Amino acid sequence: MDIKDLNMKKAPIVVIDKSLDFFNDKVLFPEKLAKANEMLKKVGLPKMKEAL
Amino acid sequence: MNIEKYQIKSGEKLEVFEFVSEGPQGRIVKMVQYSPTNYKDLYNLGFGDKNAETGFVDDTAISNNNDSEKVLATVVATLYAFTDKHPEALIYATGSTKSRTRLYRMGITKYLDEAMNDFTIWGELDESWEEFKKDVEYIGFFVKRKNV
Repeated sequence: MDIKDLNMKKAPIVVIDKSLDFFNDKVLFPEKLAKANEMLKKVGLPKMKEAL
Repeated sequence: MNIEKYQIKSGEKLEVFEFVSEGPQGRIVKMVQYSPTNYKDLYNLGFGDKNAETGFVDDTAISNNNDSEKVLATVVATLYAFTDKHPEALIYATGSTKSRTRLYRMGITKYLDEAMNDFTIWGELDESWEEFKKDVEYIGFFVKRKNV
């Protein structure tokens, strides 16, 4: 499969690189995560049943 | 999206992704992380540039590598990979700046028909949510994969 075929796929072919597991327990974007938690507390979730 | 994307690397949990942007500014390592929030099955999408010297990841960097569409398509590709592994996940995304949030909105709008086939998308208003509509200035977005 060449890069053109790869790019036609919605679900990408991901190369597993175990060195990236180093980041699993680390939050790379702490401000964004805090913002998300704050938003969830304040605004909550969209109405799922209406939209799904 | 049938547009060019970068090759993606990920850890085994498919929660942290890395790819390399290539352009006039050189090779820039980009990181995408889906972090669990305080709520079950709710994740935050973080995205930024990795500083090659310090390893620090900066989500406010403007790389000007003339490949924003390819980068955005690659971030969307990570969304497919992540939701393949976590089909129940709801993902929250917002830009680190207003202009970056606008860029996300433009990206969603551009490929909305295709995106709506695979994801349910909501836009965040001041203190509420609505199903995503074109030409509305949202604060953030929630996406959920439809049938995986």
